[in-house]
Amino acid sequence: MPRTTTVELPGCPPIRALTFDILGLIKVIESSSAVTEEAAADGSNKPKVVTPANTPKIVEKWGEPDASRCILNASINDSKSDPLLAVARKNGQIEVLNPLNGEICASETLEDNINNPISGLHLFRKENSGLSSRSCSLLTCTEKGNVVLRSLEIGGPVAGSNDDSRKAWNVCSAGNIFCSAVDGTEKYAVFGGKGVEINVWDLESCSKIWNAKSPKKDSLDIFTPTWFTAATFLSKDDHRKIVTGTNSHQVRLYDISAQRRPVISFAFRATAIKSVTEDLDGHTIYFGTGGGDLASVDMRTGKVLGSFIGGSSGSIRSIVRHPEFPIIASCGLDRCLRFWDIKTRQPLAAVFLKQILTKVVFDSNFCDKGTITAATDQPEKEQENKEEDEDLSVRRKRSSRENDQEKQLKPKQKKPVQQEVDDNDDGEQEKQLKPKKKKNKNVQQEVEDDLDDEQEKQLKPKKKQQPLQQEVDGDDDNEQEKPMSEDEDALLPLKRKKASEKSEQKQKLKAKKKKKRVPQEDD
Amino acid sequence: MGMGGKRKRDEGGESGGGGAAEEEVRQVNPQRKQVLPSSIKNKDKRAAVHSKIKHEKKLEKRKKQKDREAKEKKAMDLGEELPPRPVPHTIENQRVPDETICKPDDKELFAGNDADEFSGVLKREFTPKILITTCRFNSTRGPAFISELLTVIPNAHYYKRGTYDLKQIVKYANKKEFTSIVVVHTNRREPDALLIIGLPEGPTAHFKLSSLVLRKDIKNHGNPTRHMPELVMNNFTTRLGHRVGRMIQSLFPQDPNFRGRRVVTFHNQRDFIFFRHHRYIFDQKEIKPLDGKGKNKETKEKEKKLGKVIARLQECGPRFTLKLISLQHGTFDTKGGEYEWVHKPEMDTSRRRFFL
Repeated sequence: MPRTTTVELPGCPPIRALTFDILGLIKVIESSSAVTEEAAADGSNKPKVVTPANTPKIVEKWGEPDASRCILNASINDSKSDPLLAVARKNGQIEVLNPLNGEICASETLEDNINNPISGLHLFRKENSGLSSRSCSLLTCTEKGNVVLRSLEIGGPVAGSNDDSRKAWNVCSAGNIFCSAVDGTEKYAVFGGKGVEINVWDLESCSKIWNAKSPKKDSLDIFTPTWFTAATFLSKDDHRKIVTGTNSHQVRLYDISAQRRPVISFAFRATAIKSVTEDLDGHTIYFGTGGGDLASVDMRTGKVLGSFIGGSSGSIRSIVRHPEFPIIASCGLDRCLRFWDIKTRQPLAAVFLKQILTKVVFDSNFCDKGTITAATDQPEKEQENKEEDEDLSVRRKRSSRENDQEKQLKPKQKKPVQQEVDDNDDGEQEKQLKPKKKKNKNVQQEVEDDLDDEQEKQLKPKKKQQPLQQEVDGDDDNEQEKPMSEDEDALLPLKRKKASEKSEQKQKLKAKKKKKRVPQEDD
Repeated sequence: MGMGGKRKRDEGGESGGGGAAEEEVRQVNPQRKQVLPSSIKNKDKRAAVHSKIKHEKKLEKRKKQKDREAKEKKAMDLGEELPPRPVPHTIENQRVPDETICKPDDKELFAGNDADEFSGVLKREFTPKILITTCRFNSTRGPAFISELLTVIPNAHYYKRGTYDLKQIVKYANKKEFTSIVVVHTNRREPDALLIIGLPEGPTAHFKLSSLVLRKDIKNHGNPTRHMPELVMNNFTTRLGHRVGRMIQSLFPQDPNFRGRRVVTFHNQRDFIFFRHHRYIFDQKEIKPLDGKGKNKETKEKEKKLGKVIARLQECGPRFTLKLISLQHGTFDTKGGEYEWVHKPEMDTSRRRFFL
């Protein structure tokens, strides 16, 4: 018998991702539900293509292939009101785009781009009060360590940057900067690279506040030269803990408040760590290596939780965590964008994108938009929407089950959670940390609540449409009843039952949500 | 013996008694799956059942074949279209669908090709210059193989490995403006791996080398000339295959001397790349005149020219098989290197899945 194991990719929830490649193309990948796909098939009068629902596809492609416009780095600000996307190219161009349609809002060109390409880019999310509303601030870092904090006016003249808001400084005298990250509060940035130890800068005063020390020689008295390839902050609101990946295949955790040498350091397989991304929970880290291995690690213990097996065969250049769904996306030299389930660590979908990919970002606002447009454009297809709702509820159930499993699993890992925190910590920090030390369970419940909230968020837009859907459903039923055969008649009451059940569920959910909203507002 | 005889007789009696029952069983059997021979413990009986099954299968096959022939004959007689011949199932045509297979109308692919590391050589902007070296310990078949490679690849230069690191060699070759490095790795005096490094930035491909046959071991082999060879690349279909193909292509100059009638073939089948090196000649087959004596010379020559043109091949040079193990981005760097493709055990989900 031939050795065959079918590789089933179950598809992923409606998400939208943008990928950037070495030919300067930006590709938009959307995982749309069955609705839009069928609509597209109908529109082109083609025979119905039976594609499984929720398979991500390329929907748009921006730009012309040109190797000199290779995209080195990208950063997205996916706020609800005014989403923006910044892109740094090999020819020194920095462009700010609209992530919805790819229009260029602003651009600027750096000098000396050949010897000194941009290695780091960050688009600030928070509204800068000092600037007008039609501008965005950017942090760029070149390989030689020239960091510039600039603001670009959107829609204004090209390269219209005001010099008074520009701050420039140098973070390293020698060596190359390869990785940089900005923390969640956007006050601190971390830089590191080849021959440059990790250092943390205060962005407001443009001063270095911390510098790492290289680790000691190993037991054979061999000193491995410094070469950081990836860095990120462990959690969004804590700028003290930094996770880095090195070229000598080590993952290290630095704690600014504790010591200058890494707190935790462990080696993973035999190829360089190429990308590191934090999870929302503040202790899980996903990292990808040059050999195409993707794994997650719990940074409280420094133990690898498991690898993501099945698929990637080339170096992983970029990993992103979706802000709502439990999904990460990875891309890299194997020219594929892959979606993974965090909990099961199984591949969900893969899209072949033809070029070597350098970066991927998620557009987290996609979910609501897609469904809204579907509701306005195609009222006839509501029934399918309903199915989608069912899907969601199923997913919800599944995820809740998984939560239960987690509950069962977690108490086993009762270990000293984090390093001792210094006295000069903020009050908030202690609040966050202390309960974890004392009672793990409480924290877990909180986490679960959070998860519930997230899932509700997923459901929210659907609920808004519910009355509309039901009306349309009623109409459909009336139309269908006339020519219907007996079998279908028999099915009808079932359908209705389902619908009524669903509405009940939703009412319950709404009630829950109301309950939960109150504490949220208090926060 | 007596006991055995008794048992036999008993069995005979039973079978005689239950003849009708047996027939019933026979009728039922084709519908129901027959007992698997492997589940029978007695060897003789197992062998008997097995041979019976085999025989039945053979008969069935013959019957099918006869039917088909009869149908075809009938169709031929009636002048109708022949019934379609069934296509045999092979691993290649049952290949697992792969979305990375290159399409000829893909603009992005050509844009990607223009931007890659080999476009300079393949667009004849400069001629390739190859450095061939070995692993540190090299003897017996290794040097022989290299001397044959030198005749296959034009503008190739052999350098002794010495004790240099590969990274140093890469640096040196960059300085001397080589376009590729080929490292022949031998293990137990037998070449077993080939490393091709594109310069200055090109990828590094690591191949397993197997079934190497040197020139002197090939019967009726020819000796290659110094003409630039023609290159035949077969079946490099996927994106990865395309890239590997282009990499191999960039080892050879892109202006073949067709006068030399020398051809180098890289044929990919099931992810194995077969290397062959031939000389070819177009020959006119002589048709012997029916009455040789009665005709003069001119008519003879005319009839000679009427003969069919056939191509004859003569193999020369080594014969070997390559299998890609990894393709690394950038030049040789085992520690900090990034791989474009590495073979991993979990990728072998099916034996009908191929990557090149």
